[in-house]
Amino acid sequence: MLQLRHPASRVTFIVLAVLLGVFVFFPIVWMVLTAFKPQPELFQRIPTILPESPTLQNFTRALTRGGIPRYVLNSLITAGGSALFTTVIATYAAYSFAKYRYWGRRPIMYLLVSARMFPLALILIALYPIFNRLGLLNTHVALILAYVVFALPAASYILYSYFAQLPSELIEAARVDGAGDLRILHVIIIPLALPALITVALYGFIWGWNDLLFALTLVTSDSMRTIGPGLLFTYLGEFQVDWGGAMAASIVTSVPIVLVFTLLQRFFVQGLTAGAVKS
Amino acid sequence: MPRSVNDTLASVASRPVGSRRPSAFTRHQAWVGWWLVLPALVVFAIVILYPFVRAIVGAFYRDTLFLPEPVFGGLRNFRDLFASAPVLASWTRTIVFVGAGTALTLLLGFAWAVVLNERWPGAKVLRSLSLLPWLFPSTVVAFLWAWIFNAQYGVINGLLLRLGVIDQPIFWLSSSAGAMSAVIVAKTWATIPFAMAFFLAALQTIPSDQLDAARVDGAGNASVMRHIVLPHVRYTTVILVVLVAVNNLQHFDIIYAMTEGGPVRATTVLAIEVFKQAFQSWNIGLASAIGVVWLATIAVPAYFYLRSIFGEE
Repeated sequence: MLQLRHPASRVTFIVLAVLLGVFVFFPIVWMVLTAFKPQPELFQRIPTILPESPTLQNFTRALTRGGIPRYVLNSLITAGGSALFTTVIATYAAYSFAKYRYWGRRPIMYLLVSARMFPLALILIALYPIFNRLGLLNTHVALILAYVVFALPAASYILYSYFAQLPSELIEAARVDGAGDLRILHVIIIPLALPALITVALYGFIWGWNDLLFALTLVTSDSMRTIGPGLLFTYLGEFQVDWGGAMAASIVTSVPIVLVFTLLQRFFVQGLTAGAVKS
Repeated sequence: MPRSVNDTLASVASRPVGSRRPSAFTRHQAWVGWWLVLPALVVFAIVILYPFVRAIVGAFYRDTLFLPEPVFGGLRNFRDLFASAPVLASWTRTIVFVGAGTALTLLLGFAWAVVLNERWPGAKVLRSLSLLPWLFPSTVVAFLWAWIFNAQYGVINGLLLRLGVIDQPIFWLSSSAGAMSAVIVAKTWATIPFAMAFFLAALQTIPSDQLDAARVDGAGNASVMRHIVLPHVRYTTVILVVLVAVNNLQHFDIIYAMTEGGPVRATTVLAIEVFKQAFQSWNIGLASAIGVVWLATIAVPAYFYLRSIFGEE
């Protein structure tokens, strides 16, 4: 797109690339380097760049102390549950919006997609006593339900744009052959929309995985804690002391999602941005 | 396109019906269509709509830890809200956070997308790796940046001291301006991948014949940027501004994990204000009132959000 034959433009481009690259990647590199440094090496005014005497002790401490493996498990359950649930209900809703015409379609569509605009903290105030009365506080279900609704707007929208561009002749032909509505959806449409479904599932997963606000409020018992509040409570007290441990724990807890993402990412970006590009 | 296909379908299915009564096919469409959205609607009603209505009603009740049960208070919570300078100041702080955070994210995300859109060795790998910051839980992002900005052992102060730019460490997270800058940088860092991915997708759809034609006419990089690239990514930019701004406006996690809204109240944006009033001071009534006024402030952007994403239909 750009022409970089001229030395001046070439230099500008390289400087820009390096600066941005440093901003994007340096924190991650720094996290990894810090995690391998022994405690005394961290308490220096002018830090060393590479660990002078690399150690794994931060990792062993992160894995053996407290509930970090359990926090990861809880996060996998809640984020995974919400990803699955979001994908299922968003698929039905989006298919309905894209391929059916009926009274009330537009208002419902707007309402569902606008959910992202409601102040979450405000919702939480009223959600807390409701979940309390239903006995849902301190359960995975509470978090799954909460995450579903906030992933639902984007999920329905992504799937809606995907379904809308599938040729309706497909559906028509299947209908002529005598297939029912649900059969058409399950047997013909869903296999076709698999990349979009993966996008939506990953999106829902990331949403739940990254959350702190809901996990902090709806779950208070240590055994049900997810990664966000789990890490916060483990390291906040000693925030000033155990930086090596905090970085090691951060790396350990990020491994699962990075793995999942690496496997699925080629579908992801394409599906996510599809609705936002006009050609 | 959906419409024309729909008409075809309708004409096939409703052939025998000549009257004004809704055809069997129309009724069937409505019936199945409603059943399909029902699960989404039910969850939406339980987790958003009902709590939302209750919270709005709650804004008109006095509801604190010291009252055995909520008492109707009319507009009292709103009067308290508008009489409290510290609470009002969280609006200003929110505007600073959302404004600066959104502008930085869009600017850097676009620049990064332009860089990664060029063909150079490693660009493809970096495209995938660039999504990493987005995958870290908010707490991890907060740890990372709190460590980088750490006053005594942080790498930023270390670098500045080493280069002789400063001779005393800067207390980033314990000064008002420093803490606000730090949370804006951290949140921007976590959102850049998102913006980059959208911009990159848009850049890749620029027709190459347009670019070639411009080059033949002798257009330089600046001119190509201005007359071809920027107009081409306009639609994506609008969507991104809205998505990122809404996201920043709601943002609680990274700020809370980094500063808990402090020092004093320097980074207490609306989301943190409501959370603290509700779950630390247990002044549910006031917290709800703040939320309601907050909602009123975003009603206009919300409208544009919906307009922009469903604009084409």
